[in-house]
Amino acid sequence: MKLNQLIFRNLRKNLKNYYLYVFALIFSAALYFSFVTLQYDPSMDQVTGSIKGAAAIRTASILLVAIVTIFLLYANTIFIKRRSKEIGLFQLIGMTKNKIFRILSTENFILYFGSLLFGILIGFAVSKLIIMILFKITGINAIATLHFSKTAFIQTLIVFAVIYLFIMLMNYLFIKRQTILSLFRLVSTTEGKLKKMSIFEIIIGIVGILLVIFGYYLSSKLFEGDFTSIMSLFITMISILASVIIGTYLFYKSSVRFILNIIRKKKNGYLNINDVLSLSSIMFRMKSNALLLTIITTISALAIGLLSLSYISYYSAEKTAENQVPSNFSITNSKDVETFKTALDRNNIKYTEKRIDIIKANTNITNIIDVNINNLTTSLDKFPLAVVSEKAVNNLNLSSNETLFTGYNDLLQSFMTLKDSGQIKLMSKNKVINLTYLGLDKKFIIPSHFTSGLPTVLVDEKVFETLKKDLDQSIQKDSTVYYGINISNESSLEKANDIFIEKHLNEHGANASRLDVINNQKKTMGLIMFIVGFLGLTFLITSGCILYFKQMDESVDEKPNYTILRKLGFSHRDLLRGIRFKQIFNFGIPLVIGLIHSYFAVQSGWFIFGTEVWTPMIIVMVLYAILYSIFGILSILYYKKVIKDAL
Amino acid sequence: MNILEAQKIHKSYGNKFNKQEVLSGIDMSIVKGEFVSIMGASGSGKTTLLNVLSSIDKINSGTIMIEGKNITDMKEKQLAEFRKYHLGFIFQEYNLLDTLTVKENILLPLSITKTTPREANQKFEVIAKELGIYEIKDKYPNEISGGQKQRTSAARSFIHEPSIIFADEPTGALDSKSATDLLNKLSELNKKRDATIVMVTHDPVAASFCNRVIFIKDGQIYSQLYKGDESRQNFFKDIMKTQSVLGGVHSEA
Repeated sequence: MKLNQLIFRNLRKNLKNYYLYVFALIFSAALYFSFVTLQYDPSMDQVTGSIKGAAAIRTASILLVAIVTIFLLYANTIFIKRRSKEIGLFQLIGMTKNKIFRILSTENFILYFGSLLFGILIGFAVSKLIIMILFKITGINAIATLHFSKTAFIQTLIVFAVIYLFIMLMNYLFIKRQTILSLFRLVSTTEGKLKKMSIFEIIIGIVGILLVIFGYYLSSKLFEGDFTSIMSLFITMISILASVIIGTYLFYKSSVRFILNIIRKKKNGYLNINDVLSLSSIMFRMKSNALLLTIITTISALAIGLLSLSYISYYSAEKTAENQVPSNFSITNSKDVETFKTALDRNNIKYTEKRIDIIKANTNITNIIDVNINNLTTSLDKFPLAVVSEKAVNNLNLSSNETLFTGYNDLLQSFMTLKDSGQIKLMSKNKVINLTYLGLDKKFIIPSHFTSGLPTVLVDEKVFETLKKDLDQSIQKDSTVYYGINISNESSLEKANDIFIEKHLNEHGANASRLDVINNQKKTMGLIMFIVGFLGLTFLITSGCILYFKQMDESVDEKPNYTILRKLGFSHRDLLRGIRFKQIFNFGIPLVIGLIHSYFAVQSGWFIFGTEVWTPMIIVMVLYAILYSIFGILSILYYKKVIKDAL
Repeated sequence: MNILEAQKIHKSYGNKFNKQEVLSGIDMSIVKGEFVSIMGASGSGKTTLLNVLSSIDKINSGTIMIEGKNITDMKEKQLAEFRKYHLGFIFQEYNLLDTLTVKENILLPLSITKTTPREANQKFEVIAKELGIYEIKDKYPNEISGGQKQRTSAARSFIHEPSIIFADEPTGALDSKSATDLLNKLSELNKKRDATIVMVTHDPVAASFCNRVIFIKDGQIYSQLYKGDESRQNFFKDIMKTQSVLGGVHSEA
């Protein structure tokens, strides 16, 4: 048999065995190419708009390269290990190492670049779809066109060629380092010898769990104001990261074994088939997989966390805009209102109008506030807040010595928490009015232009009038009135918005259209969400593949065990049940821990990003879990085949 | 009482163009409590015979009855079920699970029966002490010697009191002391527990521990030797004689 024939045969055989590797290659090439195509697409200018957007995409593409490189290198280590026997055999029949390396390289070259080209083709085909998705979530009305970018093509080729060189280098080192003997022995020596748990290991196991819990505890305290300066906040964040990551590592290194060991001890040697296939096998391997699992868990947590947060801000876009602009259009001077109203009337658009007078007054709220930041710029006994008459809220009737606060930004609230009740002082220029504080209402009634996110003070009409007569001019805004225009019919909102822009009303200082605010928010958050989603998906699939490869590897190692068990009379189905159990652990442990990590991460700071936490977070988590479990199911199918072949 | 009865078993490998007949019509029966060994040269079909008798491999024609049940027309699932309860195995390469301790390996066959943990523990103690491996019960297979591994394997095959135990070259990978040790234990267990053991071996010393030796040549039974009241030394000589006739190249041919 000639060398070429050998290469060709190997290739055919490998294609069948390594279909997932080929799939992974095609997938990453497609993903990368479509992403780079996006980067060079002329219609993207609208989306990225600013330099920031372009920079974000570029950073993402670099991250993408990093993920893909690590993934392909890892996949390669598994596959070259699998072929160690073959390499040993070639050596045995007298081939030089260089020649073997040449065979492997040629074989790899065809496989690699074949998949790469195929991947680029697919990437090209789906790039239109991806751009359409991007336009959809950023709310941009543009036509997505299929556009083949030469620059993108060349960039993809270069990046993957470099990765190929890395792989070759790895293979070269691998072959160089091996002797014939070690090549034959490789498979059986990869896993460390099994030893009994030492006391030290038990302690490490407990420490791991404690570290993770400690990290969670810190994260829940992060924004509750126990850490008062930026520096200590930063240090706390670093300690959370460190303790959770190290804790996770120790957890895999020892805690899992430790917990399983307790269960196993309880069984007193009497294990059933499920235990044999899951418990003991996981214990056997967990230690050597600790690093890999830690990386997968940490990055999963990161991906889920970032996805949740960006989705939270996207999802809350409308709510946030509502808090900033309480009505469809907010106008702060009477001239503009008249212009807008006439224009609306002319176009037969029905609307309701609301007028609220707003004055700024200094307050003393030291009694009702828990301050968490020491170096506050304004003092709390002379704290300027927006004051509004009770008339602004329907059915509200306060007595002259009462006050109600309303509409307080979540983020600010976490730093400056208001108590449930207390006494405050309201100061006009010359007088001080004592008021009883009744509590805080959630509703935002005036635009954030007046409040800057701080609560609005609602007072009795008479108090309001007194204040108004005795204004402290130095703290007043340029306008003391807010006109809220609400369009009665939802369908004419867009037309009204066009009029608003046409009349250049949006250019006057504090005027705002809620629709514009929403769209702007969606545009920025949409792009971020898209990029994070893209990276998250890449990570999900690569980590899923890595776990799957790992399981493929394990199943081959464990095949002799299945043979024994089947000879002993365990049926195909008995074994499969055990395997299912094992896979729930193998895939479930990193997933569950990743989910819990990200849950705590999201809980600690979600309010910075939006107003809604549960729905978007749960949607992200469920989607992630479903996509992730596909790999678990695939691995079970693979095991099924192995078990069937075992006898 | 015959515990195993095989009639006219044929087994061949390969496709219809390139057929290799390995067993060509073997009849044999084994009585309860017997310790039988099957001998033959390499390629004579002794391992194949053991595999088909123990239901691991299928035959092409013939019948095999174990405890009155015909195993030749059982489905895969029934066979697995049958193996679980009625058969025990000892293999040359031990076939212990590396991930389990000695005790866990031995108790494995009991986990599918309705034995209570207490009962299982008692059974384990008895058999482990008989085979002298009780002290190493919490060790993993990679921490013990070959002889200990094979005794662990033997304990696993005895623990659920199967109708018949199949051993494939159990001493093949052992040094002579461990081998003698194991064979002594096996024949002790055979007498004490009235256990039926069928063993494939090419080692005449191992075969001399049995009550009966069946010689196989070219897929057929060539002859049988009964130990009767002979001493082991004499039986060994008889075996050697038969083997030399069996394996020798006939000068007149």
